[in-house]
Amino acid sequence: MDDEPLEEPLLAAAREYHLPPEPPREAMWRAIEAARRADRVRTPMRRWIPWAAAAAAVLATGIGIGRLSAPGGRDSRPKAAPVVGVTSVPRSNETAYRLATLDHLAQSEAFLTLFRASLRAGTRERLAPAAARQLLATNRLLLDSPAGQDRKTRVLLEDLELVLAEIAQLSPESPRDDRELLREGIDRGGVLSRLQTVVPAGMTPTRGDL
Amino acid sequence: MDERELIDRVLAGDPSAERALYEAHVDRVFRLVYRMAGDLHQAQDYTQEAFVRAFRRLSTFRGDSALSTWLCAIAISVTLNGLRAGRRDRERHLTLEEAPSIASRPVEADPDLRARLAQAIERLPDGYRAVFVMHDVEGYTHQEIAATLGVQPGTSKAQLFRARAKLREALADFARD
Repeated sequence: MDDEPLEEPLLAAAREYHLPPEPPREAMWRAIEAARRADRVRTPMRRWIPWAAAAAAVLATGIGIGRLSAPGGRDSRPKAAPVVGVTSVPRSNETAYRLATLDHLAQSEAFLTLFRASLRAGTRERLAPAAARQLLATNRLLLDSPAGQDRKTRVLLEDLELVLAEIAQLSPESPRDDRELLREGIDRGGVLSRLQTVVPAGMTPTRGDL
Repeated sequence: MDERELIDRVLAGDPSAERALYEAHVDRVFRLVYRMAGDLHQAQDYTQEAFVRAFRRLSTFRGDSALSTWLCAIAISVTLNGLRAGRRDRERHLTLEEAPSIASRPVEADPDLRARLAQAIERLPDGYRAVFVMHDVEGYTHQEIAATLGVQPGTSKAQLFRARAKLREALADFARD
C-alpha cells in the first residue's frame, strides 16, 4: 500500500485545519467540578440499591418461610396473598432485583465455566462445593423474590438450582463417575449456554481457579 | 507525584487530585477535540464530558495503555458521538422545502487551498477523519491512534491511506500545481 505523505502545501494547510485556540481551562474545570459534586451526592444512593435488593430478598424469603410454616402448609395457602405482597414492590426495587439477579447469574456462569474446566482437567476442586452452596443460597432467595416471578428467569433459576445442589453435595471422595455425570448434566440441560445468553459479555470473570 | 499515585488519590475521592490530573491532560485532550469539532463551545462541552466520564470510570483503568491515551479514547468517543448527534439534529430540522435546494446547491469554487482542504476533510468519514487529524495534523503515531481508537495499527494505516487518497482526489487541481 502506498504510504506516501501528503504533498507539502497540502500538509501545511492541513496543519491549520481547526487550529485550536487556548483552552478555556478554568471554565471547563468549573463545569467538571460541579458534575463531580453532583456525582458524590448520587453515589451513596447507588450504593444503597444492592443492599435494598438483598434486604428485599431476605424479606421475601421471610414471607415464604412464614407461608410454609403457617397451618395447612404450602398447598393450602391462598393464591392472592403472596401475589399482592410481591407485586406491590416499588418499581425501583424491581430494578434492584433485576440487577441482583443478573449479578448472581454472572457469578454462576463464571463458577460453572471454571468448574466444568476443572472437571475436564481432572483436578479435584475442594472449594467448589462450598462456593456452590453460597450460590445455592442466593439462588433460593432470588427464586422466592419478585425476580422469580418472571417465567423465563424462574425456569433458569430452577435448573441452575439442580446443578448447584449436585455440586454442593460433591465430596473429595466422590467417584470419578459422579463427576462425569455432573458434567454431562451441565451440558445436557444447557444451563451454562443459557446463562451465557442472559449475561452480557464482559460481565463474567472466567479466568482463574476455583 | 507519579500518575499511579494521582489515580489512587482520585479513586479515594480527593478532589485536588482530580484537579491535578485534569491540569496534566486538559491541553492535549482539548486540542484533539477541537481539531475534530472545530467549534469552541462544542470542544468545551466534549472535553468537559470526557473528563467527567473518565473520573467516573477511572476505577476501570487498568494501565494497559498510557492514561493520556485512555483519556483521548474517551474524548474521541464523546466527540464523534456528539458530532453525529449534531448532524442528525440538523438533518431533522431541514424542512422539505429546504432539502432540494441544499441538495442541488452548486459546489462553490473556492480558490483558497485551506478552505478547500477543510471542506474535503469535513467530508471524510468519521473514522478516516479521526485518523487523518491525529496522524497528519497532530502527529500521533499509528500505535497511539490504534490504542486510542481501539483498532489495529494496520487499520489506522489503511484509513490514513484512504483519507489521503480522498483528499488528493478532492484537491487534484492544487496537487498538480
